[in-house]
Amino acid sequence: MSAAHGSTAHVELVNVGKRYTKYDDAPMLLTRALKFRPGTKRTKRWAIRGVDLKVDPGETVGVIGRNGSGKSTMLRMLAGVTAPTEGRVSVRGRIAPLISVGVGFHPELTGRENIYVNGSLLGMTRAEVNERADSIIDFAEIPEFIDTPVKFYSSGMFVRLGFAVAVAADPNILLVDEVLSVGDIGFQIKSFDRMRQMKANGTTILVVSHNLNAIRNLCERVLVVHDGEPMFLGGTDEAISVYHDLLDRSAALESGQADGRSPVEIQHVDLVGEDGKSSAHLGAGEAASLEATVKFNAAVDKPAFSVIIVTEAGVPVYIDSTYLTRTRSFAAGETATCRIRFPAKLTTGSYTVRLGILWDEKNKRTVNSRPILFYVSGRPLVTGVTDLQADFEIDAAV
Amino acid sequence: MESPALEGFDLEGEGSKLRQIFVDSWRARDLVIMLSRKDFFVRYRRASFGLLWAVGLPAFQALVLAVVFSRLIRFETSVPYGVFVFAGITPWSYFNSSISSAATSIVDGQSLATKVYFPRAILPFVVIGANFIAFLPAVAVLVAFALVSGVSIGWNIFLLIPATLVLLMLTAAFSLVLSAAHVYFRDVRYVVAAALIAWMYATPVIYPIDKMHGVIRTVIQLNPATGMVELFREAVGVHDPGWAAALPWTFVWMGGLLVIAAVLHRRFDRVFVDLL
Repeated sequence: MSAAHGSTAHVELVNVGKRYTKYDDAPMLLTRALKFRPGTKRTKRWAIRGVDLKVDPGETVGVIGRNGSGKSTMLRMLAGVTAPTEGRVSVRGRIAPLISVGVGFHPELTGRENIYVNGSLLGMTRAEVNERADSIIDFAEIPEFIDTPVKFYSSGMFVRLGFAVAVAADPNILLVDEVLSVGDIGFQIKSFDRMRQMKANGTTILVVSHNLNAIRNLCERVLVVHDGEPMFLGGTDEAISVYHDLLDRSAALESGQADGRSPVEIQHVDLVGEDGKSSAHLGAGEAASLEATVKFNAAVDKPAFSVIIVTEAGVPVYIDSTYLTRTRSFAAGETATCRIRFPAKLTTGSYTVRLGILWDEKNKRTVNSRPILFYVSGRPLVTGVTDLQADFEIDAAV
Repeated sequence: MESPALEGFDLEGEGSKLRQIFVDSWRARDLVIMLSRKDFFVRYRRASFGLLWAVGLPAFQALVLAVVFSRLIRFETSVPYGVFVFAGITPWSYFNSSISSAATSIVDGQSLATKVYFPRAILPFVVIGANFIAFLPAVAVLVAFALVSGVSIGWNIFLLIPATLVLLMLTAAFSLVLSAAHVYFRDVRYVVAAALIAWMYATPVIYPIDKMHGVIRTVIQLNPATGMVELFREAVGVHDPGWAAALPWTFVWMGGLLVIAAVLHRRFDRVFVDLL
């Protein structure tokens, strides 16, 4: 069924731009008609502009960018939900958006009834749904609940059914949003495998996400968008580093420049990989080190050096310091180099690391370095925050 | 696969081609039927009398109006007054409830509309379809009621088909325009709600047009709902002389509104969503 038809399906964006008009006050019939005011206040803003992208048949391309970079606007245009203000979007083939699965599921209707409604939303005819209903129910693993209203479903069941309907639509082009990160691990693996299988069958896939794990595992090429403009289009690893540099730069801007006359000045800080080179990309368990040059503008009595690693979501992973072991004091004008080594025993994802120096214990005054963003390619299928690298011993005779 | 040609679309500029909207709407017919059924059944699913309400409410409304107005003002009608009112209220209440929910249908459909594309024009048709499911048994009850009350219907019954078509078309014409306007001007729904209250009294629902004269009669004849209601009434054997002059105006309104609807949807179909 899906073997050959994907072969000519493709997507092309030519100099695409989308401008939104934001009304600062809602236009009202009365004010318009009676001309109480010369007109409603509105601002026009380009959400994205100048995008050229061609996705060849059977190719998998990712789109990454920060929130507000214009990637969801791009996704909407690809789904045909909104039209570009300029340029041309052309899509050849049946496109199934996996944008928030289970769109149009009605809580009062049963799972089976919802399959029909959702299926027709995705462009399936009634006959096609009839034909595929069993395999959908089977894939979603909910045969015993299929005639229960979906309001009694757990969120996992809801997502499973939604995903099952979307893939059953047998699209030539699949638009994938953040959906990969939902559901239990078993279903995640299953849906991931299904997507791999679709990819192998020639389905063209577009992944729009900031789940870098999904991007790295699926995509051959990645487009990085920033502030409404395409910034980079090329190989996945390179694109991920470009994206990280971007995040890094904006993080540095946000944290503000170091206050000039501080007694302690972190002049330089860098994250170094196993090979001794500056790196924003670490392997699982790789021996990394945080290297810094610190200048003391005044004499400081026994400062404490600390390292702080947090996840992308801001959850602290590891905080350690020399608070209990510090012995050395620094004279005014002295420069210290420090190297903090740690193994990157982390799971796939983005983290930040920074150096902190407590220089005035009484008043709890600290200086922090800029946060350095890095990406860990963890071991496959390891989830959580840290990778403790457990040793599994499975034996019938305990 | 049945169709060797690949599906897909080209988007260039914000407007759409009218032909494409028709093609896409026709393709989405299964979706309209599905969503209409969903809307209809969900509406009555939790009520213990369920679908009975679909017929019960208009019948009750006719009863109340018949009782009140036969005491208050006596209109002379060719058939029992209750039948006269019921025959008017059946198409009117379909028109009334369809238009008021269809006006907000594109805005209300935003959870769907922001995720997948389908011609937005089908959203008012979903409302029209859902209400139509309830309309059919109501018509059956009306015909039965008329026969029981001694009205002779005869061949007129076949007028039900054009009468229903006119009702659906006029409802669709208003719905398409109002639903589009409501995306931009969110007070349209209140304007519609207010207008419908007055509109019913400007339409020969509870009184025969035959008894109206002068300017009032002219206004009633220009009202697009008059021809629609009266054609329906004629179909169930209730005669109200002098109504036929209103029918051409129904078609004039219908045509005008459909042209406006075409212009609006052609321009905004793909970008309604930007304001949802």
